[in-house]
Amino acid sequence: MAGEKKKKGGFLQGVKEFVYGVAAHDSARFALKTRASMEHLFILITMGDMLGVPILPPYYSLRLLPYVVPQISTWKRRMLREKDLTDALA
Amino acid sequence: MNAVLVLIIGFIIFIIGYRVYAKYVDTRIVKADPKKATPAKLYMDGVEFMPTSKNILFGYQFKSIAGAGPVLGPIIALQWGWLPALIWILLGTLFIGWVQDYSSAMAAMRHEGASMGGLSHKLISPRARIILLAFLYFYLLLIAGAFGAVVVNTAIGLKGSPMAWLFMTGSGILAGQMIYRWKKDIILTTVVTVVITLFGIWVGTVAPSNVIIGDTLANSRVLWGILTFVFCYFAAVLPIWRFALPINYVASYVVLLGLFFGIIGVFVLHPNLTLPAYTSFTIKIGPIWPIMFVTIACGAISGWHSLVSSAGTARQLEYETDARPVGGGVMFVEMMLALFALITAGAVFSSSSEYAAALVKGPAGVFAAGVGKFLNAIGLPLKIGTTYGSVMMIFLAVTILQLVIRFMKIATSELLGDVSPVFKNAHVGTFIASLLGILLVFTGWWQYLWVLFGGANQLMASLALMLITAWLMSEGKNSLWALLPMIFMLVTTIAALLYTSYGLLVKVFTGAVKGEALIGNTIMGFVGFFLVIAALVLAVEGVKAFKRYQAIRVQPATVKA
Repeated sequence: MAGEKKKKGGFLQGVKEFVYGVAAHDSARFALKTRASMEHLFILITMGDMLGVPILPPYYSLRLLPYVVPQISTWKRRMLREKDLTDALA
Repeated sequence: MNAVLVLIIGFIIFIIGYRVYAKYVDTRIVKADPKKATPAKLYMDGVEFMPTSKNILFGYQFKSIAGAGPVLGPIIALQWGWLPALIWILLGTLFIGWVQDYSSAMAAMRHEGASMGGLSHKLISPRARIILLAFLYFYLLLIAGAFGAVVVNTAIGLKGSPMAWLFMTGSGILAGQMIYRWKKDIILTTVVTVVITLFGIWVGTVAPSNVIIGDTLANSRVLWGILTFVFCYFAAVLPIWRFALPINYVASYVVLLGLFFGIIGVFVLHPNLTLPAYTSFTIKIGPIWPIMFVTIACGAISGWHSLVSSAGTARQLEYETDARPVGGGVMFVEMMLALFALITAGAVFSSSSEYAAALVKGPAGVFAAGVGKFLNAIGLPLKIGTTYGSVMMIFLAVTILQLVIRFMKIATSELLGDVSPVFKNAHVGTFIASLLGILLVFTGWWQYLWVLFGGANQLMASLALMLITAWLMSEGKNSLWALLPMIFMLVTTIAALLYTSYGLLVKVFTGAVKGEALIGNTIMGFVGFFLVIAALVLAVEGVKAFKRYQAIRVQPATVKA
């Protein structure tokens, strides 16, 4: 009985996720992409010297560094990844 | 044949294809490994690369690939009879369609989530990437023309649809405002906006466009063509959360509800297919081979899917083993959608002449009439059901159309930005894309446009299969299951494009067409020839790559000997 309940819950969860995938997953991805672009621009301005582009004086960069640390690995990954025009299709 | 039997046969093919063939390829040839780190895990950035549940990705993939293609292709192909169309949908999906969708995702996953451009650069040659990008631009232009024509024909053929489309647009914009600006609850937003859209469908039936703006404007291709591309223009230049995405969000519920209740209607009504099983080998748009094989594109195989599978889905798959349900499984579901479309047209008309008369106005009207009939079987008035079907059609077309215009805007900036900075302006890129699309809609005959779109789409699929074959060869795996479909698709689509383009240009040079049609025939003819040349160059590059990989495989054996 418990197993059946679990299976039913699994099916409903699956349907819920499918509907989310059809209706809203795209929106969520685009929202994240927009936020990420903004954040990356911000990090580039504040921490540009990490890539050899010093825009802000290091003093301010250092003050902002603790807030940026959690994003740095993601930022580097996205900035340095090879990009292609066909990426824009999905 | 009974419509329910068609669905049952489709379901059996689904089971055989998914549970036997796809499983064999996945486990024995590709050897998908659930323990292997996917790009989603390896390069997780919380944005593009992010491990996502396979159920969510199933819905995402379905939404991304199920446009107007799987619906309209079978409806047009019924002109050869329902039997050839049925056989191609079933066998095309079983032996080619899922192979491409699944393998594109797998190839991308095994190459750090590279999209088709990146894959062609890595697996074939740097030149292949450039040609592919140029190919893509014109391929997308044909999509813009074909789908734009679908929207225009629907707005003219079904006078209730413009009002419903207007309500859908308004409720979409409202959804964006409620979610992102007013921070309202998502369930409340969904209920309010979907109800407004459904209300709009009812308003469309009591206030058709000819009553509101008069017969002349309601039947004007110019008016609906301009409005269609103005709609796409906003989708391309406005922030995506403001216009394109919330409209897609609201409309996806309308389509899901329509499909769900439509299929129930098929079972309730269980009608027989009334159109002939086979008519003749050659019809007005061409012979059954190669033209029917490109007329039914997305329902059997579609190059568009490879673009979505590689650039979108492959970067989100949590486990390699999820590629089979998401890449392959969704293709089989789309096959069922194509069968549903075949049934809606095949069972709704009492005679071939009635079907032919309806088809002259555009295939969307045929689909809407079928949906109306099946929704009527479960109690919805016929008029409202037909308007509902027309709105489904418009949504399926504009979802892809918006994306295509957005992409063409970016492509213009990337490809021509170095020539002049003016091309980097978002409005310029969008304007050029819209203008080219609108020109095709106004001047091209929709059936030729559809065949050219299908040909370009299938050609894209054969190029994707070429990349897949190159990938399999590079890893020393059995590649025949991708190579043979590739050869078939390449030969068929090149033949179809040459046949259609030649026919169009003969009319141009012999003076058989004048005025608007002259422009349309000339553009379509030359675009068709350009696509064939691009595909041939890519094929040559592909064969060179195959030889390179074969030489690498032979080398160690020689050393051992």
